[in-house]
Amino acid sequence: MLYIKCPHCGMRSQNEFSYGGDATVKRPELNSEVSDHDWDNFVYNRKSLRGKHWELWQHISGCRQWIKVERDTATHEIFNTLKAHEEISK
Amino acid sequence: MSLISALANVHTAGKFGDKEGKNENNLLKISEKKNLLIVQIVQYKNSTVSIENIDSLNLKNEPLSVIFNNDTRILWNGPKNWLLVSNKKDLLKNISEKFKSTDFAVTDLSHSRAIIEIEGQDVKEVLKKGCPFNFNTLEKNNSINSIYNGIAFTADMLDDNPDKVRLFALRSFGESLYHSITDASLEFGFISS
Repeated sequence: MLYIKCPHCGMRSQNEFSYGGDATVKRPELNSEVSDHDWDNFVYNRKSLRGKHWELWQHISGCRQWIKVERDTATHEIFNTLKAHEEISK
Repeated sequence: MSLISALANVHTAGKFGDKEGKNENNLLKISEKKNLLIVQIVQYKNSTVSIENIDSLNLKNEPLSVIFNNDTRILWNGPKNWLLVSNKKDLLKNISEKFKSTDFAVTDLSHSRAIIEIEGQDVKEVLKKGCPFNFNTLEKNNSINSIYNGIAFTADMLDDNPDKVRLFALRSFGESLYHSITDASLEFGFISS
């Protein structure tokens, strides 16, 4: 069973979580000119990385909070978790 | 208006499962709790007011925590999110007055939850059958939100000698949770009251 450490609740089973996509995608600036290409990249285009990857997950059957999870997409190993508002350190 | 309890169609009194030749004290006890006040209290993200106390209990923003007195228990549901459960039905007026709508969302969930109370030395074994949480770590006056056979539920540990746990599920999932819990309890034998 895969376990994810929720930054709010602690170590919980992955069954309680719901995957929410890439956590590194940034919304284009508000009130600025956005090209179709940039908008496409924001809405549709995603990388399919092999290896460490920051993802959004929601603790849907727990505290219902969104969190960021650093996971290896090949091994499923989880390295780090952050609250949704916390910045990913590079 | 007459109230119809959430488990009225499924909950029947009697002894069930592997009960033969066992002392009644060693059987699990399953009952439905009714007529409780259940209120969800959520403090808005941008709110900075200090957390009010209710029924002389101070809200605590700490995982697993339950603060309680004889009538009322306040369960931590998530950051700035609590579930208040009380025998005092008239507490709602007091809550609405104390928690201003500019900082808090207060929702009466009294009729939207099914509540199962289960007591006995094998309670944690029953819960482990359908829930991935490590119940060995759950202590008296702790609460968690998790899933039981895919049904979202809240468990509130009332006592640990013997274990006594109150389970809350959405009313519409109450009968399914009841069937799951009673099925899991059959091997230990249970008294339904």
